[in-house]
Parts: sequence; C-alpha cells; structure tokens
Amino acid sequence: MSKLVLEGVGKRYGEGVNTVYALQDVSMRVEAGEFVAVVGPSGSGKSTLLAIAGALLQQSSGNVLINGVDISSFSPAKLAQVRLHQIGFILQSSNLVPYLKTIDQLLLVAELSGTRNRETAVRAEKLLTELGLAHRRDHYPEHLSGGERQRVAIARALMNDPDVILADEPTASLDTTRGKEVVEMLVREAKSRGKAAVMVTHDERMLHLCDRVLRMTDGKLQEVNP
Amino acid sequence: MFLALRELKHSKMRYVLIGGIMMLIAWLVFLLSGLANGLATDNGSSLKNMKADAIVFQSEVKLYLHRSLLPMSKLDEVKGVQGVTNAAPLGMLTVTTKDSDGTESIDATMLAIQPESFLAPKVIEGQALAANSGQEAVVDKTFKRHGVKLGDELKIQSSDQTVKVIGFTTGQTYNHLPVIFTNIPFWQKIRFAAPGSDSGIQNPISAIAVQSQQDGITDMLNQKLSGVETVTRDVALQNLPGYKEEMGTITMMLAFLFVIAAFVLAVFFYVLTLQKSNQFGVLKALGASTSYLAKNLLGQIFLLSLVSIVVGAGLTYLVAAVMPGEVPFALDNGVVVVYSVILLIVSMLGAMISLRRIAKIDALQAIGKVE
Ligand SMILES: Nc1ncnc2c1ncn2[C@@H]1O[C@H](COP(=O)(O)OP(=O)(O)OP(=O)(O)O)[C@@H](O)[C@H]1O
Ligand SMILES: [Mg+2]
Repeated sequence: MSKLVLEGVGKRYGEGVNTVYALQDVSMRVEAGEFVAVVGPSGSGKSTLLAIAGALLQQSSGNVLINGVDISSFSPAKLAQVRLHQIGFILQSSNLVPYLKTIDQLLLVAELSGTRNRETAVRAEKLLTELGLAHRRDHYPEHLSGGERQRVAIARALMNDPDVILADEPTASLDTTRGKEVVEMLVREAKSRGKAAVMVTHDERMLHLCDRVLRMTDGKLQEVNP
Repeated sequence: MFLALRELKHSKMRYVLIGGIMMLIAWLVFLLSGLANGLATDNGSSLKNMKADAIVFQSEVKLYLHRSLLPMSKLDEVKGVQGVTNAAPLGMLTVTTKDSDGTESIDATMLAIQPESFLAPKVIEGQALAANSGQEAVVDKTFKRHGVKLGDELKIQSSDQTVKVIGFTTGQTYNHLPVIFTNIPFWQKIRFAAPGSDSGIQNPISAIAVQSQQDGITDMLNQKLSGVETVTRDVALQNLPGYKEEMGTITMMLAFLFVIAAFVLAVFFYVLTLQKSNQFGVLKALGASTSYLAKNLLGQIFLLSLVSIVVGAGLTYLVAAVMPGEVPFALDNGVVVVYSVILLIVSMLGAMISLRRIAKIDALQAIGKVE
C-alpha cells in the first residue's frame, strides 16, 4: 500500500477574476522507502502541493490518502492529529522554536502528542546521537549553524515516527556543501526507516540522490525521465 | 506549561520587564489601599474599634457627633428597648491642649465616658479611669510623640480646666485627632461652660452607644424613642466629616489604576503574541492545537502575574514596616488579598484578547517562507 497518494488534486485560491489555479489534476503516489523530488519554477505550486499532502491545507478537488486513509473530509482538529502522528515536516531554517534547546525541540513533538515520558526521552537522545547532534543537545537555535538547524529539523520530523516526510526547500538557506550533507542525511534516514519522502528543491544538484524527480509547471505535475 | 516555562527561562529580560511593570502597578495599588485604610483608621479609629453595634444621635443633626445633644435620661429609655443588651453614654468635644511643661499646642478630640461602661479604652500604660475620677484622663499614645508623659497636666485651652494624664491607650483617634478620654461630669463642665449652650437639657450627653445582637435594632430604637436618629456603627463611621470624600478620591484612583493595568497588560501581551505569530504558525504546523497554545499562554501569564503581585505585596509590607508613624498607613491583609485577586483577573482578561489572535493564526504560514 502506498504511504502517500494524491488523486486528481486541484487547488484554487481566491474568487472570480482573482482566481489562481495553483494545482490542476495532480496525481502522485509515494511508497514506503521511496524518496521523491519535486522541482519547478517559482509560483508553480510546489509549496501548495506539499501543504495539501501534509494536511496543512485542504484541496479544492480530488482526494488525499495518507497510509490508505482519505483525509479529504477531516476537520481541522483531526488534520492537526494527522500532522502530529503521521507527517514529519522539514521547513526552512526559521522553523525551530527559538526558545527551545535542541533536545526540547524533539521533546516538544512528544509533548504535543501527549506521550512525553521516559521512552520518548530515550528516543530523542538516540535520534540526536544518530544525527550527530549529541554535542549540541543543550544549544538554542540561535547558537546553531544553518546545517545543524536543518539536522535538528530532520530529527524533529523523525521524532513522531511518521509515515510521510515532507521537506520544502530544506537547503534554501545553506551553502552547497552543507546543503548536500543535509540532503544526504535526509535521504539516508528516510530510506533506512522506510518513510515515504517528498522534497521540494530548487537545487538540481541534489536530484541524483533521489529515486524519482517530478516537475511542476503551472500547477501540473509531470514525471521527469532520468 | 512545557513551552511557557522554557520561554520564560529563555527570554528572561523581556519577562522581567513586563513582570516589573506589573509589580509596580501592584505596588501602587497596595500602597493606595494602605493609605485609604490608614486614613479611614486615622479618621475614626475610636468609632471603628468601638465595641458598639449602633449609635443613637439626636435627630436632624446629620449624624454629627459634635452637634448632637441628648439628655442622660434617654440612656434608660434605650436600655429599656427590647433587644438592647447594653448601652453607654458618650460625650464629645474638639479641644486644643497644652502640655504644662511644653509650649506645643495639641489638637485632640475629647471623648467623655462612664469609666465602668464598655466604652472604656484599653489602657496600655498607667491606670484606667476610675468612676468619679475628676480631672484625670487616659489619652491616645500619639500624645507621647508630643512629649506628654504620665502624670503631666494638660491645659484645655479656652477654659480654665486642666487634666492629669494617668494612662495611655492605643488606636484611638477621632476626626484625625488623638482622643482624650475623661469622665462625663468633667466634660460637661467644659462643653457647657457658656450659659445656655446646653439648650436647657438636663444632664446632657452627645450620644449613646448601643450593644445589641438583634437585626433591625436601629429601626426599633428610632420607632420607640422620640427625637433620636439611630444608625449602625459603620454608617456612623461613613458619616464622619470628610470620610466619604477621602474614600471616594482613593477609590476612584484605585479604579483607574485597575483600568490602566488592564489596558497596559493587554497591549503588552498582544504585542508579544503578534511578535510570536510565526512561531505559533510553526507549532500549529507541527500539530499543536489552539487550546494547547492558549493554555500555555494563560499559564505563562498567570505565573508571571502571580510572582509580580506577590513581589509587589512583599515590597508594600516592607515599605509599611519602615514608614514613619505619622503617616496614616495601615495594610489590611484581607484587602491585599482581594486586590491581588482583582489584579490577577485583570491581567488574565488582558491575555484573553491575545487568544483570539492565536486562534486565527494559520499553520500554513509556516510553510513556503524563507526567513
Ligand atoms: N494563500 C494564497 N492565496 C492566493 N494565492 C496563493 C496563495 N498561496 C499561493 N498562492 C498562489 O499559488 C501559486 C502557487 O504558489 P506556491 O507557493 O505553491 O508556489 P511555489 O512553487 O512553492 O513557489 P516558490 O518556488 O516561489 O516557493 C502562486 O501563483 C501563488 O501566487
Ligand atoms: Mg514554495
């Protein structure tokens, strides 16, 4: 069973003459252990796609299935639960909570899902070690480098053991070397843990690390043949 | 409170400043309330501490003790009314005294009593008044500040009388003046020295203090007796000259202070919330519910307010301890607690406005943005 399925998804912003068709009849499937890249020009609808796949935004038409469950008609509260338990987001550098130490960034996920206990504490420590962040355990985001911050974001996305990992331009604020390191780590962690992963990127140099590449143009999604 | 506590810890300076403002407001509130209470006490502590439930005045004198005149015969009439457990006569006169060995004039309120009645003051030093004690007096300890000692003779100006101080009492002021307790015949000699000033009343007194457990005893007395106006002790206190005006001014200041506190705090919290709206977006994208974020915000503000108010109260008690004796300042613990609770509620109400803002924040704003 595919972890993430989009069927004929469309998204319309605005009304009347201002209507923007951000997504048109987009379909995609991502299996467990698969790493998919989405590329495309600015304004083509990549972030919109990710927001819909990540239960942050409701589509205007079509269906979204996460782990086989259609979330199209879920209430906002239920969507929050889906995000909490089944989705791991990795966004830009600004997405760590500024007043939390690295370890607390991970524990926050457990706290939000009401499972903060000894077990999740051990899990958080383990994740930090695995992602090479143990020595940054008690640092605030302001004292981390850009690459470290994104690694913390990856660790945080893995904390709730989600089915789907979504990353929107995770390397946007990093230089090439750091960006490559982060993507390599993301690919490694997602694949080894059997996650279905989708990454939006502008950086064509990252594409060889991915299983498949999809191109977004004017709200339409196409497979790119390698 | 996971987020609330960690944020307080991380942004110490910011919250210390806001807490500081809250503390200053609380401090001001407590100081004003202490002043209000102090002035009230100063104005009529004799009345406030009097072991009486009701006071019988002459009718149509606006409950002014200095204008009220009743014949002593009314005392037996009062005692005869059902429900009255005890009654005692009271005489009052504002006097200026002069210590025999000093040059300083001291204004005072002379209260005349029957030494064996329940109006007799508690003596903290020296002796109590005896029946037929003649020209002897028990005076409030404020007199000590003017150099008056036990055994001193006080000259009552505008009369040829003197009294000997045989005891000191405490907490006895009337019309902001310290009280001199004497017996009734001595007071009558001074009060009614001018011929005709007794309006022809036999054995005149000013008023009668009444003890009674019974509800509606004031109505009962007014019904049964002619030419009197009876009120409860609290009403008599509020009718002291200047009392309402003093309390009104301070109450108004306190009310404004609460309103100002509400606005200032609401604005602070709102600006903070606006500043943090990006973070709230991220938290919502992670799956935090509005109610979780609301609980953290309210918890944080509750904690901050509580600490600030407690520190403010502590400072107030500190100030009260070092305040010089002449300043009319008296903290009432009950009032401090009540005002603390009001301040706490005011700050929580201020925080409520920010909750609407948090509810409106969209998780979506976290995505697709580069800082
Ligand atoms: N809330 C909105 N209201 C109206 N139009 C919107 C809204 N969000 C996005 N759009 C429009 O939808 C289209 C797709 O936006 P989207 O953010 O998905 O593009 P993108 O591919 O992520 O671009 P970029 O590479 O610059 O991040 C754009 O034309 C944008 O202007
Ligand atoms: Mg985008």
